[in-house]
Order: sequence, then structure tokens, then C-alpha cells
Amino acid sequence: MSLLDNPVIAALSRALDLTAQRQVLLTQNVANIDTPGYHARDIDFGQELQRALSSAEDEQGDQDEAGRPALVREVPGLVERPDGNNVNIDRESLLMGQNQLQFQTDVALLRSEFSRLQEAIQGGSTQ
Amino acid sequence: MSLFSLFQISGSALNAERQRAEVATSNLANAETTRTAEGGPYKRHMLTFNSQPASQFHLLLADSLGGGNTPPRGGVRVGSVVEDNTPPLQRYEPGHPDADADGYVSYPAINPVQEMVDLMGAERSYELNASAVQAAKQMIQQSLQILK
Repeated sequence: MSLLDNPVIAALSRALDLTAQRQVLLTQNVANIDTPGYHARDIDFGQELQRALSSAEDEQGDQDEAGRPALVREVPGLVERPDGNNVNIDRESLLMGQNQLQFQTDVALLRSEFSRLQEAIQGGSTQ
Repeated sequence: MSLFSLFQISGSALNAERQRAEVATSNLANAETTRTAEGGPYKRHMLTFNSQPASQFHLLLADSLGGGNTPPRGGVRVGSVVEDNTPPLQRYEPGHPDADADGYVSYPAINPVQEMVDLMGAERSYELNASAVQAAKQMIQQSLQILK
């Protein structure tokens, strides 16, 4: 394992990827809030991250598995309106806020990881 | 699918909701219109919304990248503007220039309360999508912070 090929950075970048993908799905749900017959779609964030991380740990480096896009499915258990649409405005806006903060957290962690590397490169000098 | 596609998706919804508000406003404005270019009273208009398929570019890109399990979908699109064919309301006003032989005037079958509710719904949906744009902007700005 080299200095730059570090598991924390790999995990964070996967988490950022998934968060961005989830944001696209949430935005699509919000955009279609008045489309008759539309069903809300989402990804199982925890499960997808787990899968991405475990396949990355595999020494064989199953690239196909790691690069496979997240499984998008319709959200179960939402109440359908008479027009066949089941987008729940509270769920979507809540998740959108949560997703945004999660993205922010991941970016902050990634930055701190990079600044630590930078410190190591500079040998702790104050320049 | 990048974060930039968020703008396209939310933009389509903003456009659709604005058109919905325009139609509701025009219905309200013409609630008493008894004369139109086509003849007869004004007819109430309605919009239909369709879920928009992804652009050809996005589909091709997804294909060349190994293909997702579901094709990326876009935002929303106004399908068509349809006329409400509810028969006009008849009001007895013999002195009105548009009154028929029996003294009845045909007024559009428009319920102002219904239009107001529709207008409010469009406004709220517009707000929600505008905040989704804000969220997208913030996320992109944050990811630029990684470079600094």
C-alpha cells in the first residue's frame, strides 16, 4: 500500500460517488412530484457502500464489481396518491438535506486526509 | 450521471411548474370571459405532466460506460395542454350582449377556488425544486473545495 493509495481515501471517494448518485435520484423524485403514475426511486446507501468497500478489499481487485453502478429500486411502503404518484415531499426534502450534509462531511474528511498527506510530504516543516 | 445533471432535472421541473402556474392564472383571469376567438365562452385549460426520458447523450454515455442497470431518467416535461370540456355555466342575464334567445349567457365552467389551489400547489412545487437547485450548487462548490 502506497501513501496515496490509502483505504480511507478510497472509501471516502466511493461514499462521495454514492452520495452524488443519490442526490440525482432525490432530485428526480422532487422534479416528478406532480407527474401522474411516477414512483419514487432510491438506492440502499448502506448496502451499496458496504458492497463497494468489500469488493475493493478483495485482493483480486474485482474491478467490474467495484465499478458496477448502484442498484436503483422503487421505494417500498410509500402511500400512492389517487393519480398513481407516490412521491412524499417530506421524505424527499429530509433526505436531500441529510444527503447534502453527508456530502459535506465526506468532503471535509477527504480534505483533512489530504492535508495530513501534505504535511507528511513537507516533513512537518512550517513552510 | 454527474452532479451537473441535477440542474437539468430541476430546471425541467421549474419550467413545468411555471407553466402550470401560468395556466391556472390564465384560467382565473378568464373566469368571466364569454367571447373568444374560437367563439363561445373561454374553456378551462389543463396541463399533463410526463416523466422525461434521459437525453440521447446521457443514454449513449451510460451505454459506453458499461451501462447501468436502469437507464438514467431525466426530469419532467409538460405533455400537452388540454381543454376541459365541461359544459359552460348558464346564467340568466337578458340584458347581456352575449345572451342567447332565452336570455341565458354561457360562462366558462371555472371554479376560482380550484384554480387557486392549483396555483398554490404549483408555487410550492416550484419552491421545492428551487431549493433542490440550491442543494446542487452547494454540493458542487463543496467538491471544488477538495482541490484547494
